Amino acid sequence: MMELHEEDLNRVEKKNLFASGHRACGGCGQALAARLVADAAGENTIACVATGCLEIFSSPYPDPSWRIPFLHSLFENVSAVASGVEAAYKAMNKGPVNIIAMGGDGSTADIGFQSISGMFERGHNVLYVCYDNEAYMNTGVQRSSFTPYGAKTTTTPMGNPTRKKNLPMLAAVHGIPYVATATVDDYRDLQRKVKKALTFEGPKYLHVLAPCPLGWGHSGDLSVLISRLAKDTCLFPVFEIINGSVTNIQKVPHKKPVEEYLNLQARFKHLFKKGEPTGMVAEIQEIANQNIERFNL
Amino acid sequence: MDKLPLGLALDLRRVVPYKTGSWRTMKPLYIMQTPPCTHSCPINNDIRGFLRVLADKQDYTEAWHILTRTNPFPATCGRVCPHPCEDGCNRRDFDTPLAINSSERSVGDYGLEHHLEHRKEVLATRKEKVAVVGSGPAGLSCAFHLAKRGFAVKVFEAAREPGGMMRYGIPAYRLPKDVLQREIEAILKLGVELECNVKVGVNIPFDQLRHDYQAVFLGLGAQKGATVGIPGEDARNVFTGLEFLKAVNIGKAPEVGRNVVVVGGGNTAMDCARVAKRLGADVQIVYRRTRVEMPAITAEIDEAMEERIMFRYHTNPIKIITDEDKVVGLLCVQMELKEADASGRARPVPIPGSESVIPADTVIMATGQEVDYDGIDLAKRENRWISADEFLMTSVDRVFAGGDAVLGLETVSAAIGQGLRAATAIEDYLEGHVESSLASPPVVYFKDLNSYYYNRKKRISKEAIPVHERLKSFNEIYPPFDPGEIVQEANRCFSCGLCFDCKNCLMYCPDNAVNLVPATGRYEFDYDFCKGCGLCVRECPCHYIQLTLEK
Repeated sequence: MMELHEEDLNRVEKKNLFASGHRACGGCGQALAARLVADAAGENTIACVATGCLEIFSSPYPDPSWRIPFLHSLFENVSAVASGVEAAYKAMNKGPVNIIAMGGDGSTADIGFQSISGMFERGHNVLYVCYDNEAYMNTGVQRSSFTPYGAKTTTTPMGNPTRKKNLPMLAAVHGIPYVATATVDDYRDLQRKVKKALTFEGPKYLHVLAPCPLGWGHSGDLSVLISRLAKDTCLFPVFEIINGSVTNIQKVPHKKPVEEYLNLQARFKHLFKKGEPTGMVAEIQEIANQNIERFNL
Repeated sequence: MDKLPLGLALDLRRVVPYKTGSWRTMKPLYIMQTPPCTHSCPINNDIRGFLRVLADKQDYTEAWHILTRTNPFPATCGRVCPHPCEDGCNRRDFDTPLAINSSERSVGDYGLEHHLEHRKEVLATRKEKVAVVGSGPAGLSCAFHLAKRGFAVKVFEAAREPGGMMRYGIPAYRLPKDVLQREIEAILKLGVELECNVKVGVNIPFDQLRHDYQAVFLGLGAQKGATVGIPGEDARNVFTGLEFLKAVNIGKAPEVGRNVVVVGGGNTAMDCARVAKRLGADVQIVYRRTRVEMPAITAEIDEAMEERIMFRYHTNPIKIITDEDKVVGLLCVQMELKEADASGRARPVPIPGSESVIPADTVIMATGQEVDYDGIDLAKRENRWISADEFLMTSVDRVFAGGDAVLGLETVSAAIGQGLRAATAIEDYLEGHVESSLASPPVVYFKDLNSYYYNRKKRISKEAIPVHERLKSFNEIYPPFDPGEIVQEANRCFSCGLCFDCKNCLMYCPDNAVNLVPATGRYEFDYDFCKGCGLCVRECPCHYIQLTLEK
């Protein structure tokens, strides 16, 4: 394991390795997250990106936004491709190099789940970053297994009846050395976690909540605020799991009711009848309460 | 195009980024706004500016120069100003307002300790000469700003020493005399000529000034104490508030005796009472309304009460009782308050048969002040004060006026502010163009800020020295801030309406459309790529970024 000084970890990085000119919507949380991750990882990095919004808006010929080597793969196999890159570097006795596999929530939790599980199990030295915008935004807002309870998508018009898959915990039970969650509003924390993850040898998993103005139904200027509210309402706990034990949980001293988070997004609009919350809101508050209890937020 | 290696279709060095700026319907702009402290300051001091250099660079010299751009008396105002800036401070709605006044005092004191010299705005000298009548805050401020702009200025002062009310009206426990003296000396170093013991209108005709100088500024102040006109006012131990304060301030304190009664509820009344207390007397303040209606600064009333000065409300003097020519008591009547009068304060009406006598060895009538017009003939003058237009020009050609003589009874800061405005008006007038000052940008209020990014932190406040210690001398009652405390306090500033380098716009832009300009240290938008999403506008803590419609 590589050692990094505290001040290197805490330094905010702005290198424009994910450059202007991409076609993301205004205020896109995923574009913001990808930029922060690329800048934190630095020049000595290879990005393997699964199909999804990020790949679509950042890589059209002839003007991609990536200023680091970039490899596009399919929904289902980005972990396998990244594993291959890592194995090739090993075989050629080259490196060290940071290899980052990136995918949206669909390619991570649904379509590519077998390949990410395989990568964790085989122990490749790859950081997997999941940009979680809680549905298949690229193909037109269909439900994924990361879609939260109650959220409206084109395939769940009455609100999603199931709860969100807990992938950070699933990743942790693979016995990998580093798992973390982060949000785009706290860029210091996000960049710190990227740099910290890259110091570990073996597979690492970083789960980033990335608001989607189009799919979530809010204006682009609210992306950071909404991502912060997801934390403050305890719907998205931020923590690290190092070698199996949950640690560095971000406490929420001033907890907010989930209504504040839900009210800003059109995908939860049907949960309120004439401004009054329905039973599903209480259910969502219950999820938040469970998080509070579980992580002692 | 050079031939690329086999299998590589794209030469990254030749990439021309796709300009997403064309998508934009709204456009973010960095626009400096007026902070509420500056807006509520009568001198419009750049408070945000001086706090910023203190917080970022601990640069007291630069802070002093920023303050003295507008105000030549930071050490004085840092002590005597009722600090409306702190009432305006947006931190009021968050935790507690900044200690702006104490910070100003410390910066002012630093300037005096290190003998900092004022910078001229222009190096050239101008041929026009300006006469300033009165060396109070208004007159000296006007002279200071004119001298900085290259005019030859001469100040005429009737008293023996300059300073006006700051010297003769403010007790030393609020403003030590050497502080004032050194701030005045710094102004004179700019080349301002000062002649004391000359009363314009008596020693030198007013018309001669108008003849010899291209412009005249009247900063006469309100130097004449007004009495209420009750029998016995000519007795030996009856003073007006100003007479009393002046006597004490020049070191000729009168024998006040055991019982002192001060009539009035303004700042002069508080000063007189607290001075008399320090001279060893038992002091009562007699006021015909209640504390709520008192025009004095709240802090001064509080401090007077701490110093065990007795307040008699609803009490009005009707006669001073004398034994030969010596005061023995004050006959008063109880009042009751009826509906508000023209001044908006409740109208006191005497209760018949409620007369009583307050024993007194000295009576001080701090019941108002007037302009001393002796020998100065201003053709048109409404009621007691000089009437001047918004550019402070009077009805007499080339004669400007400001300060208490125009405003009525106001603060030192208000007078300094008027001196500054008059200097600008005189400059504009002599250059023959109309008022050129630009309207200031809109004021930032708390609702405009994104307070998430600020931390709650308590205001540093210094305890006044204990009352029994205070009353022993005329020393200042508040200790100064330590240098560390000032920086800590300056760091609490929200920097409303101006970038303080939080990097939010830089870091939050999903499109990399914000760049740091290394030469200026400022940020700028790259409008080729900015999609106008407004994230930076919402996440800017200090409301420095505005979203405007794209044309």
